[in-house]
Formats: sequence, structure tokens, C-alpha cells
Amino acid sequence: MADRPPAPAQQSLQLILARNLISTLSTAAFIVDPRGTVVFYNEAAGEFLGMRYEETGKMPLPEWRAAIEPVDDEGNPVPADELPITVALRERRPVHMTNRIRGRGSAAERIEMLALPLIGTEDQHEGAVGVFWLHLDAPE
Amino acid sequence: MRVKLWGTRGSVPAPGRETARYGGNTSCVQVTLAGGTTIVLDAGTGIRALGLALDAAAGPIHILLTHLHVDHIQGLLFFAPLFQPDADVTVWGPPARGSLESRIGRYLSAPLSPVELRELPSEPSFRGCPGPEWTIGSAQVHAQLVVHRGPTLGYRVAEGDTSLCYLPDHEPALGGPLGDYEDEWISGFALANEASLLIHDCQYSDAEYAAYRGWGHSSAGDALEFATRSHARRTLLFHHDPLRSDDQLDALERRAVERLGEGAVGVAMEGAELEV
Repeated sequence: MADRPPAPAQQSLQLILARNLISTLSTAAFIVDPRGTVVFYNEAAGEFLGMRYEETGKMPLPEWRAAIEPVDDEGNPVPADELPITVALRERRPVHMTNRIRGRGSAAERIEMLALPLIGTEDQHEGAVGVFWLHLDAPE
Repeated sequence: MRVKLWGTRGSVPAPGRETARYGGNTSCVQVTLAGGTTIVLDAGTGIRALGLALDAAAGPIHILLTHLHVDHIQGLLFFAPLFQPDADVTVWGPPARGSLESRIGRYLSAPLSPVELRELPSEPSFRGCPGPEWTIGSAQVHAQLVVHRGPTLGYRVAEGDTSLCYLPDHEPALGGPLGDYEDEWISGFALANEASLLIHDCQYSDAEYAAYRGWGHSSAGDALEFATRSHARRTLLFHHDPLRSDDQLDALERRAVERLGEGAVGVAMEGAELEV
């Protein structure tokens, strides 16, 4: 029997370790691969979305954006190319933003969003991690 | 390809009566390709005896280091071909900042070593792995970073219809049971998928593992689960804890065979030779 080549689908070590980490966090977090697909989100993020990763699997970024509905303080949609995760992927730098999301179809909740690019030891771009949490203490 | 195990122990050499059968030398596996090229997987203390047995003039020698922990490079300066001017030796290792030679030289240099790498008569070439796949002799070599402490590669050496996957230091279940993950999220899965022979970390017993989670090694149960998930045709449990006695390894093999079946799994023994 001819030997098969290695299976083509394999996440990078950086993404595997990132998933291992955020799976253990109570902070909502998700991982995006270099192509902009949300390849994993943790249980806390699933509570924002009202759906679990095990139910949805991977999500293209537009689908993810539609699920969380990010808006500014005036209720205007945040363009996809201005989302922290998009900027982190495009510009390979950490990005922080305060805005609102309508996850779960509820009134827009004010949140802090942070995106960190994942850059390997040979400067290869492996994707990004996004973290968001409710902005509870700051004045409206 | 022919495979010979020259060192199967993990962490530190463990000579003695209680380890004499399975061996006390640290990681080193010789792979002889059909065309005569020799690939050496890791340069633990087992490489010393390999160097004495090799005819360095017979063909190029490629040493593939998974990572630079001492138990995987400790034998390098005792590898006789490195001291033979006509030997053709290339040392490959994981990519990281700084050259491979300078990183290995941090250990193999004064005051820790009487000989510097630049003094080696064979003038070996030190090269970071050039990518996920490249050719050595008649083999395709695949390398991927895998879960262990520090930059660590796993290798798949494929020649014709056969393939060897080498994951001596590997903790794929770091984040939880492998059953919780899809294949693509399991470290090392693509390397091991349907390999003719899988050589895999099995440092800890299932009972020990809880105390050592995060140290970069696998329990026996996780190693067997990884072998099952990846559909490796045969698996050798490897990188034995230095405290593991021959009798304990015999018992491990019995349990492993009960689970995976006769012929599908064994415990790596120093000196063993296999035709893959």
C-alpha cells in the first residue's frame, strides 16, 4: 500500500498552544488564523455569542463579526477593517479598543477588546488572539 | 529503511542493572535509507556507540535534532565521524533566533567542553530546518514544531511506501484529553498520520502524569491514544523515565499490547533493529 503524505490539515504549534491557553480562561477569547478565519473561541466567548464552539466550528471573520455585531458608542457599526483583530492581523501589532457588541441579540454591551498578533520565531505570521471582556467599572 | 535504536532513555543516562535490557543511553535512532544515506535522529549518549559502528566514508550522515535539551545533544562530541576529516556530516535542528551552531555551541564550548565545534576535523555543517519539507538522500523529511518545552521539532522520514515518525519529546494532551480535539488540533498529528512506524514519548505512567503536566512529556495512556488516533501501523514507546526499571517496562509493554494488539505496539529497547 502506498504511503500517504502527511495530512494537510494541521494547525501551527502557536495556534495549538494558544487554544490550550484560552480554553482554561474565564476571559472571553478567540483565535484567528492568518487567513482571518476564527478557528476557535472559548466557553466565555461562546456565552457572549450565545453559541458554543462545539456547535459552530470555525467561522469566517465576517460571520464572526455578524455574530457579535460590534458598534461604537453612537451605535454605528465598526467597519470590519477597523476591528482590533483585523488590524492586528494586517499590521502585526497589538491593538486595544473600547466599543460595544450586541452578542446574544441583547442591548449593546460596552466591552474592552484586545488583539495580539502571533508571530513565530522566524517572524512568520501565525494568526492572532482576541480577548474581550465587559467594561463594568468605567463610566458610561 | 532500516532503523536501529541506540538510545531510548529520557532526561539523563540511566545505566545500571535495573535498566540494562532496555538500555540507559539517551535518545538516538539510526535510520539507514535504501540509497545508503544515514539519518541520525537526535544525538543523545546513544550516538557514541553508533559513531563507532558507522563507516563514515560510506555516505553522508545527517543528524536531525528535535531540540537542544542536553539529553538530545550530550553525545554529539563523542560521535567519532565528527573527528574524521573525510566524513560528510550535516546537523539539522529547530529554527530559532541565532544560528544552530551558536546555540549548540553554548553547551559544547568552554568551560563545559574541552573541544569547540569549530575544531571538529569533519567541519560539519549546522543548518536550521529549511521548511516543513525537504529531501535528504532518497527520503522526504517533514518537520513540524510540536508541544514540548522550548522550540522542538517532530520528524517524519518517508521513503517510498514507508515512513517513520519520530516524536521523542511530546505532550499532545497538554490542554486536555485528546478525545476533546479534532485531528488538526492535535500536535504532531500530521507527522504521525498512518506512519509505518511511530516512535513516541512515553515518559510517565498515567498515575505520574498529573504531577508532571506541562513538563513536555506524555503519559503511557496519552501516547497510546495518540498512536490510535493517528493510525500509526506500529508504535514504539520511547524516552523512558530514568527511574523506570526493566521490569516496569515489561509490564508497560504487556498493558500496551492488551490495548493496541500484538504487533501494533512495543517498548523501545536499546539495540533493537527493525526493517520498516
